[in-house]
This record gives sequence, C-alpha cells and structure tokens, in this order.
Amino acid sequence: MDNYQASRMREASYGHSLIPPCQVACPLHMEIGEYVDLVAQGKVLEALQVIRDGNPFPSICAYVCTHPCEDACRRSQVDKPIAIRALKRFAVEFGGDRMIQLEAETTQSEKVAVVGSGPAGLACAYYLRKLGYPVTIFEAYSELGGMLRVGIPQYRLPREVVDTEVQRLIHMGVEIKANTRVISLDLLFDIGYKAVFITVGAHQSLRMGIEGEESPGVIDGATFLREVNLGLKPSLGEEVAVVGGGNVAMDAARAAVRLGASKVSILYRRSRAEMPAGPDEIEQALEEGVETMFLMAPTKMKRENGRLGVTCTRMELGEPDAGGRRRPVPIEDSEFNMEFDTLITAIGQAPQISEDFRLRIGKGSTIQVDPVTLTTNRAGVFAGGDAVTGPATVTQALASGRQAAFRIDDYLRHRYPLVDKEAEETLSGELSPETIEMIRKTERLEPPILPPEARAKEFKAVELIYNWEAAVDEARRCLRCGMGAEILFQDKCATCLTCLRVCPYHVPYLDEGGTIQIPADQCQACGICVAECPARAIVLRKPYDRRHIDEELEHALKSAAESKSKPLIIGFCCQYGLFGTGALASLWRGGKAGIWIVPVLCVAKLEGEHILRAFEMGAEGVFIAGCGEQCSRENTAFWVLQRVERIRRALSQIGLEPERLQTFNLRAAEGDTAEALDNFTGQIGRLCLASVIKQEVKS
Amino acid sequence: MANSLFEEKLNSDGFLVTTEIGPPKGADVSEMVHHIDLLKDKVDAINVTDHQSSVMRFPSLGGCLLVKERGGEPIIQITCRDRNRLALQADLLLAYSRDIKNVLCLTGDSVDVGDHKEAKPVFDLDSVQLLKTAREMESGKDMAGNELKGVPQFCLGASVHPEADFIEPQLVKFEKKVIAGAQFFQTQGIFDLENLRRFMQYASQFNVKILAGIIVLASARMARYMNDNVPGIIVSQAIIDELANVEKGKGLQKGIEIASRFIKTIREENLCHGVHIMAVGNEGIVPDILEAA
Amino acid sequence: MIVAEQKPMEEIRRVIAPYERVLLLGCGTCMTVCGAGGEREVSFLNSALRVAQAKSSDGIHNFSEYTVKRQCDFEFLDSLADKVNEVDAILSLGCGIGVQVVAERFPDIPVLPGVNTSFMGMAKEWGVWDERCAACGDCRLAETAGICPITRCTKGILNGPCAGTKNGKCEANKDMDCAWILIYKRLERLQQLDKMRRYYPPRNFRVIPRPRRIVMKADVEPGEDNG
Repeated sequence: MDNYQASRMREASYGHSLIPPCQVACPLHMEIGEYVDLVAQGKVLEALQVIRDGNPFPSICAYVCTHPCEDACRRSQVDKPIAIRALKRFAVEFGGDRMIQLEAETTQSEKVAVVGSGPAGLACAYYLRKLGYPVTIFEAYSELGGMLRVGIPQYRLPREVVDTEVQRLIHMGVEIKANTRVISLDLLFDIGYKAVFITVGAHQSLRMGIEGEESPGVIDGATFLREVNLGLKPSLGEEVAVVGGGNVAMDAARAAVRLGASKVSILYRRSRAEMPAGPDEIEQALEEGVETMFLMAPTKMKRENGRLGVTCTRMELGEPDAGGRRRPVPIEDSEFNMEFDTLITAIGQAPQISEDFRLRIGKGSTIQVDPVTLTTNRAGVFAGGDAVTGPATVTQALASGRQAAFRIDDYLRHRYPLVDKEAEETLSGELSPETIEMIRKTERLEPPILPPEARAKEFKAVELIYNWEAAVDEARRCLRCGMGAEILFQDKCATCLTCLRVCPYHVPYLDEGGTIQIPADQCQACGICVAECPARAIVLRKPYDRRHIDEELEHALKSAAESKSKPLIIGFCCQYGLFGTGALASLWRGGKAGIWIVPVLCVAKLEGEHILRAFEMGAEGVFIAGCGEQCSRENTAFWVLQRVERIRRALSQIGLEPERLQTFNLRAAEGDTAEALDNFTGQIGRLCLASVIKQEVKS
Repeated sequence: MANSLFEEKLNSDGFLVTTEIGPPKGADVSEMVHHIDLLKDKVDAINVTDHQSSVMRFPSLGGCLLVKERGGEPIIQITCRDRNRLALQADLLLAYSRDIKNVLCLTGDSVDVGDHKEAKPVFDLDSVQLLKTAREMESGKDMAGNELKGVPQFCLGASVHPEADFIEPQLVKFEKKVIAGAQFFQTQGIFDLENLRRFMQYASQFNVKILAGIIVLASARMARYMNDNVPGIIVSQAIIDELANVEKGKGLQKGIEIASRFIKTIREENLCHGVHIMAVGNEGIVPDILEAA
Repeated sequence: MIVAEQKPMEEIRRVIAPYERVLLLGCGTCMTVCGAGGEREVSFLNSALRVAQAKSSDGIHNFSEYTVKRQCDFEFLDSLADKVNEVDAILSLGCGIGVQVVAERFPDIPVLPGVNTSFMGMAKEWGVWDERCAACGDCRLAETAGICPITRCTKGILNGPCAGTKNGKCEANKDMDCAWILIYKRLERLQQLDKMRRYYPPRNFRVIPRPRRIVMKADVEPGEDNG
C-alpha cells in the first residue's frame, strides 16, 4: 500500500490530468475520479486508500455527505450523475474502513487545544496528530461528535460510525476531555497550549420572533434533535408541525415520525422548489408519510386546552433575493388557524460564542476569521466549522478542520502559510451536444434502501449498500473527466488525422492553424486514438494508465518464467469486465496451469506491441477478453479486432498459426467463456505438439 | 475513289455484313485458315482481333495477311494497349504496304482483364488519337511532322457502345471519333434493339456507317459470365431468360436463332447500315446464322 | 502525400539476414501518415521481428529503432550519425526517397528498403488510401474538372471513357470508379461539357525524362547588383 501510494505521488508530479468538476466541487477536493475508477476496477482496498488520503472520516461522509460532487458531475448532462456518495459507502464498507487502525507518533512538542468535537474539531485533531502534535479535544457534552452526534438522526448516521472514529482518534493519541466546557482561552494558553482551534458549532436555533413562541408545546429543532439523539424520547402528541425547509426540518419531521406522531406536517413559507433540504431527504420524508404545506408561515401561537393553536398567513413568491431564491411575500388577509400538539421550529441556527473568548464576532453571530489562514483576532487562536460559517455541511466542516490543522502547523513552525496549491488545471466546460449524442446512456444504479414501512418505526440506517456488481457497474458510468488523451509530443504529430478519424466521440478537430486539438473537456478517455496514433504522439493524461499494461505484462511474464508451466498462455483481460462480472471466477475456473492473466484498463488500450511482446517472451497463445457490447465506451471491440487481424497477419508471415491469438467476450450472452477458454487451451496444446513433431522430423 | 473493296461497299447503299476471327494462341493457324475459307465469300469483310480481352495471341496483322492470302477482305483491329506511337505508325505502314487498308482503331481492353496481368499497359495514344494519327499519315506526315516516303491511305473504323448504362459520355466520344476520321462503326454487342433504335436516331445525323454488333451466345451461363467479366457487354435479362429456358445442349442453337432474329429485324426494319457478327470462338456457325437470317 | 505499404515479413527478414545489428528507421512524415513507417510501425515491426527470431530460435539480430521527422533531407539525418556507427545495416521504413537520401548521407552502411513506395494519394477514410496524382509533369486538371484521368483511369486516356465502363466502375476493377464518368458528371455540373468535347492530342512524355529536377532558385551571382 505504501509503495502504491508513493508511486502514485511521484507520478502525480508529472501527470497532466485535469482536476474534474466533482473534485473541484468537493469541499475536501477528494480524488473522486480516482476512487470511482478503482471501484470500477474492483480494487476496493485501493479505492478506500485513495478515499482515506483525502478524507479523515470517510465512513461519516459515506452516510451524510450532501455530495456537491454529484451536482457538479458532468454525467448529468448525459443522463444522471454518478452515485458518488453511494460508491464511497460501498468502498468504505467493503474495504473494511472501520477495521483500519491508525498510529501516530508525537514528533512535535507544541500542544494544541481543539475546542469542540464536531466534524471540524475531529478532523483538525486527526491531521494535527498525523503531523505529530500532541492534541487535546475539549467537549462540553458527555459524548464527542458535536452535530454528528446531537444534530444528525441515527437513521442517517448510525452512532457506531461516530464511535469508531472517536476510538480511532484516541488510538492515535488524541487526548479527550469530555464534559469540559472551555470558558477562557487565556487559561488554555496558561496551561501550555501553543495554539487553539475553536470549533464550537452553531447550536443555537433562530427564533421566529412571533407571539406565543415561548408557549409549551413549541420546541426548537436543534434542542429537539439533541434530545432525541441523546436517547431521550420527548413526548410530541399526535399532530406535529415542523416549521422550515432545510435538512434540520426534515430530520426533525422524520424523527417525529419515528417517535410515533401520527401526523407530521412541514410548514414552509416558499414552495418545494426553493427548499434547501437535500432532494433525497425530502423524498424519503414524503415516503415516510410526512406532509408538506407550502407558502404559509405562522404568525401567532397560543396554547389552549392542551393543544397549540397556530395562526398562519399564506404567502406568495416575489422577487428573487440576493441568493437567487424568490422571496416569500405575505398575502393580505389570508390568515387562518390550525391546531397541533407540538410545533418544532427549524428555521436556522447560529453559533453562540462566549464573550470571554474575546473573539471578533461577525455577521450571524459567527467568529470572524481570515478565510485562508483561519486566524482570528487573537494570536494562536484559529476558528472553523459552523462557528465560522454558520450551519453548513459535515464535509465543509471536515475541510475546515483540515485547513485549520495545516495552518496551525504553519503557525507553529513559523512558516509562511502554504496555501493549497491551485497550480493544477481544472477541467471546465460543458459536454458538446455532439459528444453527448455519442455517449451511451446508462441508468444510474441507486443503492437499495429500506422500504418506508420498515423504517418509519425505528432509527435504523435507511440506506443499504450496493452489491459488488452494482457498484462496479455504477462506477463504470464515470466519464473519466480530465483523464483523457492529449497530444503530448506535438513535434511528433504528423497531423495524419488518425485520431480524428478513429474517435468514436468525434472529439479531436483541426483548428484554423491546421493543428489537431483534442479538447480535454470532451474526451472520454477510451484510449483508441492513443493506441492508433501512428506517430505515438498521443498519451492518456493519467500517468498510471500510461504504464499500466507494460507493467502488468512484465509482471505476468516474470511470474510465468519462474513457474515454468507449459504451454504458456497470456490473457489480456479487461480489468473492469473481470471484476464487474462473475466472468473472473469463470476464467479462473477454466484457467488451467500456464494461463496468466494480464489485467488491462479496457482492451481498447492494448497495442500490437503488447501482444507481440507476449509471444516474444515465450507465450504459445494469447487471448484478449473484453467486455464486448457491455463496454462502457464505444467501438472498442471494432478496434481490438482491427489490431488482432493485423497481428494475425504478422504472425502468419512469421510462420506462426494465426489461431494462436484469440478474442473472447467476457460478457457474451451466449456461450460459456470458460468452455471457450478450455477449447483454446486445448488447441494451443495441439499446436505446440505439432510444432515439436515438425522440429523432430526436420532434425 | 475507294481505297478498298470494303470501302466501296461502305459507299454503296447495300446492307453490310462483317464478322470477326480471333487468332489462335500459338503458331498453328490451320483452324483460322479454315474459318477464313468458310467466311470469306459470305461476308463483306473479316475483322481479325488484336489480343482480344488482353489475352496474348497470334497477331491481328498476321491474321489479316492470311485473310488476304486466302482472297478475303480483312479489317485489321489495332489497339493502343501494347504499342507506343512509333510501333502503331509502323504497323499502319506495314498494313497499308500489304494492301490491308481497313483499320478498326480501338483503345484496347485493360491489361487487368487478360492473361498477362503484370504487363505494362502502354496507352500512349487512345482510339481518337489513333484515328487522327492515321488520317495525318494520309497527308504525308508522321506524328512528329516528318515527311513520309510513300503515303498510305486507309478506310478507318471505330467502335461505339450504344448499350452503355451511362450513354452520354460514350456519345461525346463517338462524335470525337467521327471528327477524327472514322468512316464506319462496329458497335459493341447489341442485346436490346430498342437501344440500337435510339442510338441510330441520334447517329443518323453523322455521315458514317453503323454496323450493329451481334454476339452469338451459347448459353445463359455464358451470357452471365460475359456480363460480369467482359468489358463493354451488357446482355439484357430478356435474352438471358430466353437462353435459360431451352433444353440442355440446345443453347447454341438458341443463340443462333436469337442472332438470326436480330439480324433479320435490323435488315427488314432498316435499323442501321449492317451487322458485325461476333461468334466468340464459334466462328464456324456464322454461315448458319446468315442462312437463317 | 506519398503512400507506401510495409514489405512482407519474409522479404524483410531475407534482406536483413546478413546483418547482426539492424537499425529500424522510421519516418515521421508521409510514412507516418500512411501508416507504413511511423514510430508505431517501427515499433510494431521491431516486436514482430523479435517474435520471429524468438520462435525460429536461429536469430542473431540485435534490433534498435529510431524515427526521424523526415528522411528525405540530409539535415534531419544528422541526429543519426552516432547510432549509425553502432549498426551493420539500416532498414529504412521511409519511402523510396528516404531510403536513397539515407544511403547518400551514410555511404559506408547498407540501407535497405522496408516498404514498397506505392503512389501519391490521399486517405479516403481510416485505413484506406487512394492514388490521386501520377506526377506526369503536365497537369491538365483544369480541363478535366479537377479529376485526373491519367491517374484515375486505368488506361490514362484523354478523350473520354472506353467502352469498358459499367455501373460507373472501371473494367479493370469493379470497386474502382470510372474516372471519365466522374469527369463527365462534374463537367456537366459545372456546365463545362465543351471541355470534354474538345480533342486532346497525345501526351507529351518528354516532360518526364527521368530523373527529373526542378530548379526554383534563380541563376544569379551574389554580391553584384543584387546584393
């Protein structure tokens, strides 16, 4: 694993991959393309490693990330975005993330205090430990996790997941001080901490500011969820109203359903289109029986006869506000009354920062920081998470915590802040209609979820995990943005137009100056032009893909030479197809001694030289097993067969039987691959025997 | 004044009948002589083909000398495929000197259809240029403008393809041949008289004689083979069907019948100025056809 | 562009047989474009020759490969000088011009042709090349609607189609368009059929005495009136 990572890091320095939009959109800038591709290859452990490289707590994100990556995914221009979060969940579960133990050595002497144990605090502590600092987390509540524990309901994020991460941190040597509310930063410095990271979250619910808000039966969303999440069972009565349209409102409503309320209604002053909650959350809430009442807002509340009388006014949508959402405007004389047992307010939350911290407070009660260095007005005090941004996502909080760790490291090492290098180019631009037209449409596979009736009564996780095949199939939908072909050697390019003619997506074009351009934002990285370019001027931007086949082939040839089993047969098999299907098992079953599989990242990338190299090194037979019609790219079979015919011609000119080179379709509907392979092995055996006899007759 | 017996007949109003002989592959000319004797008195002139279908044979000029020897009237076929302009002019001089004055000027089939596919195709001249060259020689100069000692005179003919599936460019070439000096045309095989009728309606404006090419088919298979493999032949489906419907072994008889019927119709309806019968290897049956017609 | 195709392996193996160290030399221009001798083909040939050697187990060859931008100018070959000292022969995958220029540049080493130089033409589509120019030295495309009868008519005749044309195809090859039918149709479209009705005299072959040379530079003395 270490070697793998090291080589990957080295390659990254001269790779020309462009950063895809998903990675740009991710607050943590995770290498999404990379791990999705590894999942597609069936390399789950390696996928998990990439995920872990970019995310301190992938298990948590796998459950609750709002996946802005999927919103940015360019596949949505074709059909539907890649289910990135669900794929991460798959990698995390199948890769055994929770089994991973991390160690950290203390190499620095400066102690750092992290105030608050929400996602930002945990992430900061994680990275500071990795950097070698002694770290202490101070948490006011009895349990760690902040909003992860008290804000997000269990059915979205099981508690064990948070527990695992906390345990891992403890194992890494993070000191935990729970039930400890920090009241003075000076004190922390006095007892020896050299830097402090404030990440106390935004737990204070905003008030509606209407008459009767203090009535019994009215509870704010943050408090309600905290009580539920800490295991209390607040009594709600039968009919519950939730005011608000964000994720907290959804969480509150769905928690209320699970607590047994017979009727739960969401009151929202705009319409569904403007709701800030994630679409999945809304959808699942509706499935669970939550009702919605749009374009209305409470104006007055009163407790009467054990019930809560709520006066609402109807709204209409006016001009868009600064954020682009249309502003709700009350309709005159439209007031009406409703009755509930309980009303939960969930119209927003803000941080609550102790004045004793002597920190400069800005808009919405948040701590003012420099956005790049996260420094506050006090030396050595950094701040991040919801306390700085106001309520945001878990992933944003993790990013903020990581940023804080690196900036604190800079501060303690007296280094000029090394801001995240933006040197790498990002991929931008829409897919052209012509390209979209050529991309095969494939349905997005959603992970299975518990049926609504099963989940409405308990707090079990709603979403289940992909099975292996579904995950690989979904991952294969990735367009591999930014990993495509580039003309690396312009001086070699003879402008022969081969790339332009062979591209199934019509991507390369001749510019006005007569130079071939391969626009990175349209290339689908199928590799056909790379293998066909007669000048060998084109390469794939991703260095790993460039060398993959050579390395795998040499490895197989070396192993084969050591094993000395005869006859030697080399099989170039699509890595995607091998793992995405049961075909691997069937190939191994049929694969007698002497068959060596060289996995390739799509057989379209296989060049004639690779196949000839296998023969040169002693292979008696070579086969190519591709995915045929199931390949996620176009025309691959056609080009493989072109090359195969060419090599067969060369073989027969050399005096070798062309049948020594065969192709198999890994996913052929008809016929058994294993049986075909058996036949092939038998045939090669006979050819070998015949040539031995011929030799002897000659001598 | 006519240069040859055949030219004299061309200038008269009589119905013309010519036929052709393919020389042998080899030096044994006895069968060819037999055919010459059989035909010489029954037709107005005998063509001798020039490595027909680009298959190497005894030369046309040699065949014509034999025709002459046996008292017949020869038409020498000269193609541009095998000789450059020096050799073509020289052969014209030789032919004239041996009293062979009727010349059918052809471009020649492609080397690729013949039996020496690796030969160099010459085509230094094309048929139009060859006609013009012959006419220029009659004025006492060779192609380079040098004086000739002894000036030849020819009766020049050419071919035309009234059944071509795209006729217009063929007609352009036909006119160029007329202007270049062709006096008579022997057409490619005619298998649909309607095509001939249409062509004659157009060709009658020119002062040239048209002899309709009549190919004697021996079977439906032969017809199909020629359609696929012999340049310039398009046998109509009606004829193929007619041949296909006869008993085995009676194909040639049917072919003779069809040829006679065509000749009879052409003569009776005065469709053109004569016929040119191509028996393709069955030269012996030509008298039968004429008899029947 | 010049179009060629790689010679059969048997022939290549035969010509290199006497030499141990053989440099496979590609050309980065026409031979790359026509897929006969660019860097990829050189590499493919190298692989194939090594397979042949491994399988026949009588090989003595030591192959190296290199591709220059163009073989048909001495200057591009300078970078080869060192490599040439270390080999016994060069198998050039350049066109016939390339082979000769390499031979002229390196007089002490055998230079062998690896391709058959075929014609000047264009790619009709990927993997299909068609001849377009015969370099006759007397271009008459103005009269023939931009379609060359000398190259594209199997007989190269000048005054119209022969009688062998059928379905618009040539008697020599049923897959090949009849050039004269194409010319007729295009002239008709351009309303220039009179060009076809004109008589064209026999070609002047004197314009191509071999070998040909074109001199573009003027015969002037430097340093006098003209600076």
